[in-house]
Amino acid sequence: MDQMLTCTFPTGFWRPLPTARRLPLPLFLGKVAAGFPSPADDYIQKTLDLNELLVQKPAATYFVRAQGESMLGASIHPNDILVVDRSLEPAAGKIVICALNGELTVKRLARENGRWQLKADNPAYADITLHEALELVIWGVVTTVIHAV
Amino acid sequence: MQPLIALVDCNSFYVSCECVFRPDLWEKPVGVLSNNDGCFVARNKALKSLGVKMGVPLFQVADLVKKHDVQLFSSNYPLYADMSSRVMSLLETFSPRTEIYSIDEAFLDVTGICQPDSIGYGLSIKHSIQKNTGIPVCVGLGPTKTLAKLANFAAKKWPQTGGVLDLSDPVRRDKLMRLVPAGEVWGIGSRTAAKLNQIGINTVWDLAIQPVEPIQKQFNIVVARTLMELNGIPCLKLEEIAPDKQQIVCSRSFSRRLTEFSEVSEALAEYCSRAAEKLRYQHSVTGCITIFIRTSPFNPKEPQYQRAASIKLASATQDTRAIIATASRMLKEIFKAGYGYQKCGVQLSHIQPESSPGQLELFEFADTGLPAENRPLMKAVDQINRRFPKAISVAATGFDKTWKAKAERISPRYTTDWRELVGVKCG
Repeated sequence: MDQMLTCTFPTGFWRPLPTARRLPLPLFLGKVAAGFPSPADDYIQKTLDLNELLVQKPAATYFVRAQGESMLGASIHPNDILVVDRSLEPAAGKIVICALNGELTVKRLARENGRWQLKADNPAYADITLHEALELVIWGVVTTVIHAV
Repeated sequence: MQPLIALVDCNSFYVSCECVFRPDLWEKPVGVLSNNDGCFVARNKALKSLGVKMGVPLFQVADLVKKHDVQLFSSNYPLYADMSSRVMSLLETFSPRTEIYSIDEAFLDVTGICQPDSIGYGLSIKHSIQKNTGIPVCVGLGPTKTLAKLANFAAKKWPQTGGVLDLSDPVRRDKLMRLVPAGEVWGIGSRTAAKLNQIGINTVWDLAIQPVEPIQKQFNIVVARTLMELNGIPCLKLEEIAPDKQQIVCSRSFSRRLTEFSEVSEALAEYCSRAAEKLRYQHSVTGCITIFIRTSPFNPKEPQYQRAASIKLASATQDTRAIIATASRMLKEIFKAGYGYQKCGVQLSHIQPESSPGQLELFEFADTGLPAENRPLMKAVDQINRRFPKAISVAATGFDKTWKAKAERISPRYTTDWRELVGVKCG
């Protein structure tokens, strides 16, 4: 049976705190059987959590689903899930979600000859050069593509 | 140092949640409807300016809705709850002491954090919430909670404030108070406001200059405290830890009149399940279950019937099965055939922490016929349902569910269900 033993701190070394501090220590994670314990028990580590890898700022992170093929060059395929972090500053070269003609749209932000551009990563789609009159809202910055194979 | 409290309040919160994922609606009048799609519970600025008031039934403004192409949504509580927790977790980074006051507003103690540039700090809060979550907010600041509320009201009403206003300065405070009716003050209800008007107190300023004692005598301690708070004397503390709910109520209107016992019983069982979930979420047990059923009070032509029943439990429980079994036993007692029922509900009270020792019931099975409390089982059910919403339910809640309240215009659960993520165009 897996078991956790609770140990109370020894109190001889320092003045005990007014409230007893208890620290749960995993002593055995393997089965306690007669015979040899698992040689891996010395290497207990936490399990891997994808959130830790993909989500830096949970309050600002949204998952969205890609529709269409204009970003194939950036390895974004139809039906892929994109991780979007709204806390990041959009910068040239970043893939962003922008509100374009009332639709959330995926583009690569670029700066050429002093002008901001929204580029598709697929030669079949035209680039959009931003001019003063066009007010653009950047909704968030894409950090990861989740693609099932 | 003078205390400084900030009230951060989301603008038209439910509508703002919907619009984050719908840029096509950013310039349009948008409203969110109550349970059963009955009345307006949230309106954006464009809808307010059309004259649609809070709480108005949809049918009363049907023509206007059609004429101005008003976009309507059923309440999408999973979405609003998730967006709220994003906003609140960001707010906690701006002050070590926060009080979440409701789903869309929180008080922050910012004493010593942002003086002298309180406006700059307020703007950075506003900017951060808007940028990170997409939800617009206004920030009101003042030495008391009541003044922070008043500042927030003014920040929302007058765009020239830029959405942030500090009422620490008594001169600015006086100026504003003369412009705002007393009824807008936090804690002054409409009845109190009418009474104040009768004795010539119309604006907030009229109220603020009153001596405290006569007001306390003529009204009550709440109004007297409000008056002191308006003068910058803190009377209301920040409540950092929300007290556990002492009562949990789950009740809804049905989409249609229910006449069969089995239908009402299924609906009641579902509300019991929801209430039991809430109970376990706050790690409590209930010692008293009350149920009620009623016909529609708005249709005087139909035969009217309403009845409630209540039972004190021999031992407190948090088990869905025990709560449903008790509720349906009471329903058998009070249900009468021949009526068209419009609403039912359950209320759990005598709520205690689950860790408190309850009375042990020696003859549980023999006495009540209820299943023995099984906390690990309930915990497992909650965990599964959190991952796969509605995966497990007690059979008594039925399968038909056509009695469920209307939610015909509900938007996707963009942030809580993998199957309902917002689509982004690659084109």
